[in-house]
Amino acid sequence: MELAFRGSALGKVYRTGETEVHALRGVDLEIRTGELLVLLGPSGSGKSTLLNIIGGLDRPTSGELHYGGTDLVGLNDRELTRFRRANIGFIFQFYNLIPSLTAEENVRLVTDIADRPMEPGEALALVGLAERANHYPAQLSGGEQQRVAVARAIAKQPGVLLCDEPTGALDSKTGIRVLETLAKANRELGTTVAIITHNVGIAAMAQRVLHFLDGRIARTEINENPVDPQAISW
Amino acid sequence: MKALDLKLLRDLWRMRGQALAIALVLAAATATFVLSLGVHRSLTETRDAYYARNHFADIFAEMTRAPRNIVARVAAIPGVQRAEGVIQQYASLDMPGRNIPVRALVNSVDEHGHDRLNLVTLREGRMPRPGASREVVVDEAFAEANALGPGDEIDAIIYGSRLRLRIVGVGLAPNFIYSLAPGDIIPDNSRFGVFWMGEKALEAATDRKEAINALSLTLEKGASDADVIRKVDTLLAPYGGTGAYGREDHLSHAFLDNELMQLDAMTEVIPPVFLLVATFLVYIVLGRMIRTERTQIGLLKAFGYSDLAIASHYLKFALAIAVVAAVAGSLAGVWMGQAMTRLYAEYYRFPFLEYRNSPVVFLGAAMLSFGAAALGALAGMRAAARLSPAVAMSPPPPPVYRAGMVERFGTAAGFTAIGYMITRHIARWPWRSAITVLGVALSMGLLFATLQFLDSSRAMLDSYFFRAQRQDLTVTFTEPRNEDVLYELAQLPGVLRVEPARGVPVKLHFGNRMERTAIESATGDAQLSARIDGEGKAIALPVAGLMLSRQMADKLGVHAGDRVFVELLGGRQTKSVLPVAGIVDEFVGERVYAAQATLERITRDASPAGSALLRIDPAARDGLLARLKDMPQVLGVTERDAAMNKFEEMIDDNLYTMLFFYVGFASAIAVGVVYNSARILFSERANELATLRVLGYYRSEVGLVLLGELALLVAAAVPVGCILGYWLAQVMTAMFSSDLFRLPFAPTRATYGYSILVILASAALTALAVARRVLRLDMVRVLKARE
Ligand SMILES: Nc1ncnc2c1ncn2[C@@H]1O[C@H](COP(=O)(O)OP(=O)(O)O)[C@@H](O)[C@H]1O
Ligand SMILES: [Mg+2]
Repeated sequence: MELAFRGSALGKVYRTGETEVHALRGVDLEIRTGELLVLLGPSGSGKSTLLNIIGGLDRPTSGELHYGGTDLVGLNDRELTRFRRANIGFIFQFYNLIPSLTAEENVRLVTDIADRPMEPGEALALVGLAERANHYPAQLSGGEQQRVAVARAIAKQPGVLLCDEPTGALDSKTGIRVLETLAKANRELGTTVAIITHNVGIAAMAQRVLHFLDGRIARTEINENPVDPQAISW
Repeated sequence: MKALDLKLLRDLWRMRGQALAIALVLAAATATFVLSLGVHRSLTETRDAYYARNHFADIFAEMTRAPRNIVARVAAIPGVQRAEGVIQQYASLDMPGRNIPVRALVNSVDEHGHDRLNLVTLREGRMPRPGASREVVVDEAFAEANALGPGDEIDAIIYGSRLRLRIVGVGLAPNFIYSLAPGDIIPDNSRFGVFWMGEKALEAATDRKEAINALSLTLEKGASDADVIRKVDTLLAPYGGTGAYGREDHLSHAFLDNELMQLDAMTEVIPPVFLLVATFLVYIVLGRMIRTERTQIGLLKAFGYSDLAIASHYLKFALAIAVVAAVAGSLAGVWMGQAMTRLYAEYYRFPFLEYRNSPVVFLGAAMLSFGAAALGALAGMRAAARLSPAVAMSPPPPPVYRAGMVERFGTAAGFTAIGYMITRHIARWPWRSAITVLGVALSMGLLFATLQFLDSSRAMLDSYFFRAQRQDLTVTFTEPRNEDVLYELAQLPGVLRVEPARGVPVKLHFGNRMERTAIESATGDAQLSARIDGEGKAIALPVAGLMLSRQMADKLGVHAGDRVFVELLGGRQTKSVLPVAGIVDEFVGERVYAAQATLERITRDASPAGSALLRIDPAARDGLLARLKDMPQVLGVTERDAAMNKFEEMIDDNLYTMLFFYVGFASAIAVGVVYNSARILFSERANELATLRVLGYYRSEVGLVLLGELALLVAAAVPVGCILGYWLAQVMTAMFSSDLFRLPFAPTRATYGYSILVILASAALTALAVARRVLRLDMVRVLKARE
């Protein structure tokens, strides 16, 4: 299978004044194109740090990282931005919608600058919110807002979807709806999806699960039979 | 220290940029206030001390010739404290290497030092000695302009005979702080000097033994100057008295007064603009602060802090800024005030200088600063006090955006999502947007009004020198002459046209108002002088009756058609009643005109000409000036071009310095307003901007969201600024107009251009400085935190 990301000996040290925090201590990983990956681990174990580095929001302090043939470590800020713009869709715990823009306009924010986007309406239809296109974030529930965020992330047809605790602020019912849209994108569009979560149950939908501990991948688990999000025990 | 006060200090430190920007604007208000009041007070006190020390007189009178013993009779008038008579005689000076006429007004002084009024302060040398026939003291400005000093000699023609004067001293006097040659409208120290010469020597030189032609007097406390003037006029009438007058009509005093009045005007216009802007800034900054601190406020209230304690916490924040501003502004005001007072004092050559500023001024400045800050804080304080703890601790209701005008317009204009972000945000905070617009507009208006001053002065000069005064030279005679001298002038090589200029001194009475002036007249076919109205049109002399300049009409309170009582001064003291045939909107001076026939009816005589207007061939100028210099009937020559250059020099000196300050002040407002708006925008939108970066927007594109909103607001401020500037400029020209001149409102296109440019540049630079923070945005951290 083709590789999306290849990272080796990735390290990240945060320096705040005198103290040093080793967020990542030599992570080796491969992410395959089209796979659905879950990152599990206790809080502070370095999951977000890794995801941000993969997504080009941050740089490792040491190690190597390639996306396809591109060396991500060597890119400057503008090149990293272009990389994100072309390849990455992000979803965070807090939906980060622009309150002054309607659902459709929030999606257009991405389609305005993407190379081969889908129609904003199409993306909203994929997450089941076609009829809420003209609502402002304040008029949507949390789950709906997160689905708009998913629509916004997939509208540019990115190679990779990176999701940092996408259901962290949601209840099980709405959380599952969001996970369904992610699985759907993975299935129907072939998007590589990485999901960070605390929720062990969610790991059941992944093809592979990376267990984090103390800035390292402690264990990789391969799931031969990923289940449908509907079947997840929350 | 209480925890809440600790929070206050931390808040101030955290928001130091914004706090400083507000302090800057408030300090500018305080500084201008302290500056202008300080300079005004210092100059007034210095002048008054100078007047008191040198015994500047209260009443002045000139006459053709009166016996010296008239002084005793004047002194005997009830209310007169002391009276002194002098001889004042114009002299032509023949200075080597100068082929332009140079003149001096020679004043007699008592050689034995018995003078008590209008005393000369010696800067160098000594006063003339008794018995010395040709010793003079010259005024300092003239001495400096011509590089003269004690020991130097000057050839003078006094009263027709040549005399070699010897300079024994250099001095100053309170009645010549500002001096003008007859026929001139602007001082030219290289061409005109004030001299003092021994009484006996001047009596001999002017053939006025035991006679005087001018006197001045001081009044006893509580004496009525109008009464004394009336009695002096009666006494002097037989001797060709031209009417006694008080300080307000004394040239030197009136000019100084005018300058002081302009300083006052500055105090009335400038600080209020700054205060208004500072109030607005406090309002928006505190408003934002309280919105972001809702939860904290709720928590504090839940802990049991009273509404009052919370409200006063935010009031303290505003007042802390005001304290800094009041102190910094006062210091800056004192510093600038001292420098400016020194400049003025040098310009007017006060023999000493006292910089004074009363504690009341500082107190006033502090009160203004505190008041503006407190007023701005009021809305925020009320909001903070009203917030109930339960409501405050639940997350804030999400900002509600509604479809409105923006949608219809945006759809039509094909807005991108970014376009909607910008415009909806403006519409969401209409008050704050309006205040930003208004603040920037005010700074532009201030700049516009200041720049318009230059235009206005130039328009006045243009009207006066190019339209009203068409002669190249004005030749002033030693005494009024009949037609013969005009023919003589016309014969000189290079003279293209000669016209007589007549003026007879009169008092005009209307109701219970009275003005001393001169009625000016020209022949019917006059080409070299004209009366130009506000629109630049030449107004013909009325066939009958008088024509008054607007200034004079306003002073007397007359309208066209009114009848004024005309009292002729000097020589024949006739009285007549004349209708006001018209009023002309002139810019310079308070003047009265009549046709020659009308004038002759008043004087009952073919009135002689006091001066002549000449149009000349420029190529023949030098030769002609040399010839005029040697004509005994000619007292002096005023060159229009030289006077105009002097005027422009004065404008450049005074106004450009002022302008320099005001460009700084106006920019300070623009910077303060834009900086605060940008910071607030940035803090409100940090999340949105970070989201855009995550979505793959470049830094430049993200910066555009921030700058786009500011750019729109600043763009909206431009037309508003033009309107405000237009209005402010009109207020200011009206306030700065005086008896001496009236300023027209005449902004040029360049003035619009420059004010727009300066404000756009300050706004752009400030916004860019703030936008640099966007470039340093830590995307991850922003997104991790819940708003
Ligand atoms: N910007 C930062 N500055 C300093 N330390 C940080 C920063 N971001 C994360 N850390 C630290 O790095 C470690 C890993 O954090 P993170 O990747 O967010 O963990 P996780 O997402 O697994 O909860 C933690 O100890 C955290 O405190
Ligand atoms: Mg995390």
